[in-house]
Amino acid sequence: MEVNSFDPDLIHSIFKLVWTRRALEREKNESADALDSEAGAGASKKSRPTSANGNALKLSCEFLRIFVTEAVQRAAAIAEAEDVSKIEATHLERILPQLLLDF
Amino acid sequence: METEEDQSLTALLRDRFRLSTISIAQAQAKVNDLEVSETVVACVADLAFKYAEQLGKDLELFAQHAGRKSVNMEDVILAAHRNEHLAASLRSFGNELKAKEPQSERKRKKASKKEDKPRASTSVVDIPD
Repeated sequence: MEVNSFDPDLIHSIFKLVWTRRALEREKNESADALDSEAGAGASKKSRPTSANGNALKLSCEFLRIFVTEAVQRAAAIAEAEDVSKIEATHLERILPQLLLDF
Repeated sequence: METEEDQSLTALLRDRFRLSTISIAQAQAKVNDLEVSETVVACVADLAFKYAEQLGKDLELFAQHAGRKSVNMEDVILAAHRNEHLAASLRSFGNELKAKEPQSERKRKKASKKEDKPRASTSVVDIPD
């Protein structure tokens, strides 16, 4: 059974973008503080960006896949209840609040 | 603060992400014998992309909180804490991933937990070797 899902490398790239951005922010904030870092190791530890383990990426792909699936599935339920053959923006609108609360 | 390079990279990733979302959304609509409008798909894609960025931020915070530099499966499962079914689903997916690792010779446990939300049951994901 083939399951349509996101590419782990794509998700990894997105995460890396977020993490390097945040690492740069941290570095900038640290150099802005003229304090001597109390833990010498702390300075280098903070400026290295976060990484992810392979399984965590696969799990994140699954997470995002479920997000998309749930959005479509819940909107589909409303469309079906209205006896309409196409999922429209109005259907999505109605399920959006609960979707965002659940995720 | 995004540099120009950052912005074009983000745009590229967003486009690739949108393509994947389109395929997942259309496949899902088909399961229900319905069509999905382009507007809806574009909306879901952008929303999911923003969510992915948010997820990345959350995962980093969880890992840091645990004193780690590297995000692991536990962090991802924790990110799903708002919804029990989601967390359970991810946990069993995660267990299957772990069981597939060469070190453990355990047989894969069939995830018998089913979500009672109306969705295509993919809690047992058959990943072809």
